[in-house]
Amino acid sequence: MSIVLCRVDDRLIHGQVVVGWGRPMGINLIILVDDQVAASEWEQELYRMAVAPEIEVRFVTVAQATAELGEWQSNGKRGLVLTGDLETMAALHAASPEIIHRINLGGIHHRPGRRERLPFIYLTDQELHRLTALEESGAVISAQDLPTTPPVALRNLG
Amino acid sequence: MNQRVRALFRLFAIQGTWNYERMLGVGMGYAAEPLLEDLKAVDPVRHGEAVVRSAEFFNCHPNLAGLALGATVRAEYEGVPGPQIVRLRTALCSPLGSMGDQLFWAGLVPALVGLTVIGVVLGAGWWAIAGFLLVYNGIRIWTGYWSLRTGMASGMRVGAAIGSSWLPKAMEWITPTAGFVLGATVPLVVAWYLDGFGWAAAVGAAGVAVAGFALTRWFGPGLTSVRFALLAMVLLLLFRRIGL
Repeated sequence: MSIVLCRVDDRLIHGQVVVGWGRPMGINLIILVDDQVAASEWEQELYRMAVAPEIEVRFVTVAQATAELGEWQSNGKRGLVLTGDLETMAALHAASPEIIHRINLGGIHHRPGRRERLPFIYLTDQELHRLTALEESGAVISAQDLPTTPPVALRNLG
Repeated sequence: MNQRVRALFRLFAIQGTWNYERMLGVGMGYAAEPLLEDLKAVDPVRHGEAVVRSAEFFNCHPNLAGLALGATVRAEYEGVPGPQIVRLRTALCSPLGSMGDQLFWAGLVPALVGLTVIGVVLGAGWWAIAGFLLVYNGIRIWTGYWSLRTGMASGMRVGAAIGSSWLPKAMEWITPTAGFVLGATVPLVVAWYLDGFGWAAAVGAAGVAVAGFALTRWFGPGLTSVRFALLAMVLLLLFRRIGL
């Protein structure tokens, strides 16, 4: 059918993604966009273990993803685009703003310099400014870990 | 005390400092500390870095955390570059979380609770409850020991070690088995509550048990044993209400 969810989560593929979002949304294609994982077979093997065999998992680089977004949007599958960081999602949005339109912040965890915005979202002020700029360029951004919890709009994360 | 035994004891307290910032991270660091001791004499700088890395953000099922702990400690001793060890930790969160949840929370625990309830209904009383505590904790402790040993033995190749271990096979069987047990439990408990236990209830229990096994095998993992048991309970009470 199309890409139904674009998520930023530094844990990449895990229970919240596969079970929490995957099942209720009927997702049968997970596209993990990460240059390092795309080049590492042992990491791919580990991530694949967490996913039921009926769900297809594609490991792609940012360049491959920007080239193939159009095809995933029309290939009849219900796809989830997953990135581990904000920069990758911003690059995908820049390449295809219509497809990467609504962005879900699902898990950005503690690192030195980051401040807690929600229990599952930690951002530096600079990262927050970059997200605000992304929203000004047309993206719709909200933080939500699971479909059963209410989404929090970007402007309420400050 | 042996370093591995100390690490194993500490692993059982891995959730003691659970928090949103690092989740199991601090617990992992505490468990890794005795295992990393020998690195201090070999390479003190590396030892310091390894201790810091071991306590960073981490999350998975607590009973399987030993696989990640053992694998990353071995990688530290083998001199694998730090960023690669961080990536290994991140990648392990995913399968160890989903496999552990499916195996323990959605499989083994409901299956053992079902068996315990059947034991109580059939008159075993407190012995059934003591048996549950003994068996569940026995499995949990053995899994912790096995996880740590396997992780230490495989290092960066831990993915292949998990793939060829008993874990994937156990996951395939645990949900239908839990469905079978809970299927048998539901009519027994309902009969026990309502009017004692007779042949009709025994036949009913066998029927629901077989249905539970088959349905959770065909429609799993969407249909978990817990969902099946709840559905069976509601249907039984409805039938009872309309006098069937």
